[in-house]
Amino acid sequence: MGPNKMMRKRMVWAVCIITILCFGVVSVALFKEQVIDYEFYSMKAEAQQMSDTAITANRGTIYDCDMKVLAQSATVYNVVVSPADTTDEKKEIIASGLSEILGIERDVLESKLAKQNSYYELIQKKVDKATADKIRAFVSEKKITTIYLYEDSKRYYTYGNFASHILGFTGSDNQGLEGIESYYDSFMTGTPGRIISAKNALGNNMPYDYDQIYEPTDGYSLVLTLNEVIQHYLEKHLAVAVREHNIQNRAVGLVMDVNTGAVLGMATKSDYNPNDPFTIYNPTTEEAADMLSGQTETPTLAEAQQAQWRNKAISDVYEPGSVFKIVTASAALEEQVVSLSDGFTCNGHFTVSGTHFNCHDTAGHGNQTFLQAIANSCNPAFIMVGQRLGANKFYKYFNAFGLSRKTGIDLPGEAAPIYYKENQLGPVQLASVSFGQSSAITAIQMITAVSAAVNGGTLYQPYLVSKVLDNSGNVYESFEPKAIRQVISEESSELIAQALEETVLTGGGRNAYIKGYRIGGKSGTAEKLSGDKDARVASFVAVAPADDPQVAVLVILDEPKSYSSYGGTIAAPVVAGVLQDILPYVGIERQYSEEELQNLEVTVSNVIGKTPHAAQTTLNQYGLNSTIIGSGETVIKQVPSGGSTINRGGNVLLYTTEDTSSHMVTVPDLTGLTVSEANMRLLNAGLNIKIIAPANSGGAVAYKQSIEYGTEVVKGTVITVEFIDRSGTD
Amino acid sequence: MQKKKKGFKELIFGKGDMDTVFFVILLVIITFGLVMLFSASFANAHYYKNDSLYFIKRQAGFAIIGVAAMLIISKIDYHLLHKLALPLYAVSLLLLVIVLFCPPSNGARRWIPYPINFQPSEIAKFAVILLFAHLISLEPEKMKTFKYGFLRFVLLLLPVVGLLLLEPHLSGTIIMLVIGCAMMFIGGTQLRWFGAVGGVGVLGLGAIVLSGKIEYAMSRLQGWIDPFSDVQGDTYQTVQSLIAIGSGGIFGKGLGNSRQKYLFLPEPQNDFVFAIICEELGLIGAIAVIVLFAVLIWRGLQISLKAPDKFGALLSAGLIIQIGVQVALNIAVVTNTLPNTGISLPFFSYGGTSLLMLMAQMGIVLSVSRHSKIKKA
Repeated sequence: MGPNKMMRKRMVWAVCIITILCFGVVSVALFKEQVIDYEFYSMKAEAQQMSDTAITANRGTIYDCDMKVLAQSATVYNVVVSPADTTDEKKEIIASGLSEILGIERDVLESKLAKQNSYYELIQKKVDKATADKIRAFVSEKKITTIYLYEDSKRYYTYGNFASHILGFTGSDNQGLEGIESYYDSFMTGTPGRIISAKNALGNNMPYDYDQIYEPTDGYSLVLTLNEVIQHYLEKHLAVAVREHNIQNRAVGLVMDVNTGAVLGMATKSDYNPNDPFTIYNPTTEEAADMLSGQTETPTLAEAQQAQWRNKAISDVYEPGSVFKIVTASAALEEQVVSLSDGFTCNGHFTVSGTHFNCHDTAGHGNQTFLQAIANSCNPAFIMVGQRLGANKFYKYFNAFGLSRKTGIDLPGEAAPIYYKENQLGPVQLASVSFGQSSAITAIQMITAVSAAVNGGTLYQPYLVSKVLDNSGNVYESFEPKAIRQVISEESSELIAQALEETVLTGGGRNAYIKGYRIGGKSGTAEKLSGDKDARVASFVAVAPADDPQVAVLVILDEPKSYSSYGGTIAAPVVAGVLQDILPYVGIERQYSEEELQNLEVTVSNVIGKTPHAAQTTLNQYGLNSTIIGSGETVIKQVPSGGSTINRGGNVLLYTTEDTSSHMVTVPDLTGLTVSEANMRLLNAGLNIKIIAPANSGGAVAYKQSIEYGTEVVKGTVITVEFIDRSGTD
Repeated sequence: MQKKKKGFKELIFGKGDMDTVFFVILLVIITFGLVMLFSASFANAHYYKNDSLYFIKRQAGFAIIGVAAMLIISKIDYHLLHKLALPLYAVSLLLLVIVLFCPPSNGARRWIPYPINFQPSEIAKFAVILLFAHLISLEPEKMKTFKYGFLRFVLLLLPVVGLLLLEPHLSGTIIMLVIGCAMMFIGGTQLRWFGAVGGVGVLGLGAIVLSGKIEYAMSRLQGWIDPFSDVQGDTYQTVQSLIAIGSGGIFGKGLGNSRQKYLFLPEPQNDFVFAIICEELGLIGAIAVIVLFAVLIWRGLQISLKAPDKFGALLSAGLIIQIGVQVALNIAVVTNTLPNTGISLPFFSYGGTSLLMLMAQMGIVLSVSRHSKIKKA
């Protein structure tokens, strides 16, 4: 018998509950998920199914003015492993392989590989192409499918520490963090591209043509006004000075094209390597040294990093001291409150409204012209000149020379000057600012003002970038020299250049003298308000050639601990060294005066192979003496050798025999001797001298000799002796 | 009965026509299932088995064997099953004990690996349906009493449910309880006793708590309420399923175009094959699957209603309800309407023995249909 009525009814009920109620409920759920929440789930799906890979745009290149590459980006690779789909056996292989290739500790790798749920473990960022190739070889050899190399970009700074404070550096995401890299970041970054493609859960691309590629736009490149050669010379001399004079608070060097405001060189020493900017290169404090050996991220480390990245040329203010007298003199000559021939009397001090001001030379400079007062850097004379100008006019020129505000140079972090405003300039304040005290300005302001004073009177805005090039190398934007204002007349400017040359020839700038060049310069030494009472800032500014100034060089040594802390003594030789190297390079030739010609060095001819007397005749023509040693027929050895330079009147030894042993002499100690004394002593010893001495070297004394005393050398050897004038007191 | 010429139809289907409507719907579902299984599984098969056809080859093989088995079984007189009712129940209990000593997978012991990998719970479900149909049809008049209409069924169900909970196998337990209750309900158990069944449910819940499986259940419940809260955890599969369903929209991405099957949705060939259907065929395809099952169940109901005896009616109704409950629960899990309990979609999910079992059971329904007074197309 078939199912009864009740049974049939209940069967229908049971089936109805399942098909209508249960199926209904799940259908509603489906409707909600597939129709109402479709957008939500679609986005979720897209987020995980589509891989959106950024294609790094190449950051623009930084060139010097001759298109030498200073900074450029190269493709590097981020190494990623997907532990989730790596077998334990492969993990072993990967751990040993990658630790060898990348030099990572094995247990660090193992702990990353142990993350069983991770599809993306970053093993190392930014490995270079050579390393990436090694990994590729390793991967294919061991048949590993779970190591990925993602393209990234890394910044390379061609010359390491070179120009670090100008260039700055980039962060891990290729963003500019300091210097030019930071200031022009928006130009240089470019626009990253994207690849949008379908992928599976392992991150592998799916067999679909969903790929959409948006090409990256490379960043724009920069052409700097900076000259790589000049910068190198500047850094070389500055680095030597920092060591030689035990500079406590870093040194600054600046080279400027006085006729455009273009910065040709700008250096702060000590510096850092922008390829690895987070390392502390010169720990200045014990804490810094401790911190280096200990933890990585401490406040002290951050402070030390900030300190080493600081571009002292624009971010620190200093008291220029007597260098500032150029500004006062310019204003006074332009306002015609004084002429170079006006007489001043200095008795070593000057009192203004009860405040006592000393001159450097406490004995007093006596009677002098204004020209001599500039060369002597006489404080009382400048106080009097300041009084003739008055606060109003003084401030007018202080302002006009751009000293009351930032220069607006295209670098981040420029500091604002600290100075007395016009209404704050009482008689005492006016007196002190007139000779360079009480105003704190930046190095870039000082050299910009000096450039204006000598270039014919036009103040230019200093700048570092001359051109922006688009990614195909065309000029996108060109920065022309920007004249801000005419500060003084051409006539006044010529007078200033003349006074500065006089300072180098006869005054406090004698150590900046270079034979064959007309150099104008001014030294400065300022007491530091902070630190101990002996702390000084020694500086020197020079312009060349003095009759038609092209370049200005400013060197500031902050807190030297040396035999002297006067700018004219320790900063001037640095400036001279820079000028001597860069002037020939910028196409300014030496032109010797009559007097200079007489003391000129001579290049020794090569006379080897000649008969002794023919050799003597040749050397005679160049004003050189010679001594024949031995009785051979031909000269087989000469000291000094051909091509070396010695002073006119030097003696060349012509050996006609091989044996030189009996002709050895001991180098004497020359320290403290004057030029003529040193010359005599060397000639008596049978040696030759090469003199490096300041202008009017009467007061200069030897302080360096190329071969140490006590050394045994062959007769005739050239000893290079450097003399310095220590009489200068600014 | 008059002698007919033995035609092709009779050669295949034997004497007494089976319900071709039911048979055809079944074939449509099986074919559809194979197509979707292939689409859902080939990426996984490619990555993990290094053979895109790994799953479909096996499933198709079982499907062919299954159809043959189904046709053979449909020709066997289902009344022979009376004799099998008690032994099969006893064997089921034995297997449910044996499975507890088998190696666990994913923290549960549900599979016996010999002779072929199979779940004793699948056999137990059929054993309960058969035993209940057998007992009810023997003495239908006694169903009104407490002792025969209720207590003996509860006592027969309890060991099965208890053993399933020990695996643990929550979804199997639920299905077992639903099937048992449905059989009793249809068999004529007085409705008031079902209040007591509610009590059994509470007892069951108590058993879960007491068996120390509360943590296991709770962790599943947390993931159910907000699956996106901890996507990397247990809810990963649910989240991936929801993304597949939701991103399918109304019309779907097109057959074969699922992206979630590319290793996002774990084991898309198993319990979550419906999510891939939703993604590829959209709401329309999903509803089509549901409607196909509804039609199958409706036709099964017709067979039961017109069955020649109570045994056949109860047997086919139980089997049909079992399909319906599994489909509903599977879709509920896939859509996160219910927590993820591990339940496959009949005829769609990968699993050879399961497919074989299902089709054998459908063979029994077809066998009933031969005797059924249904109007056969």
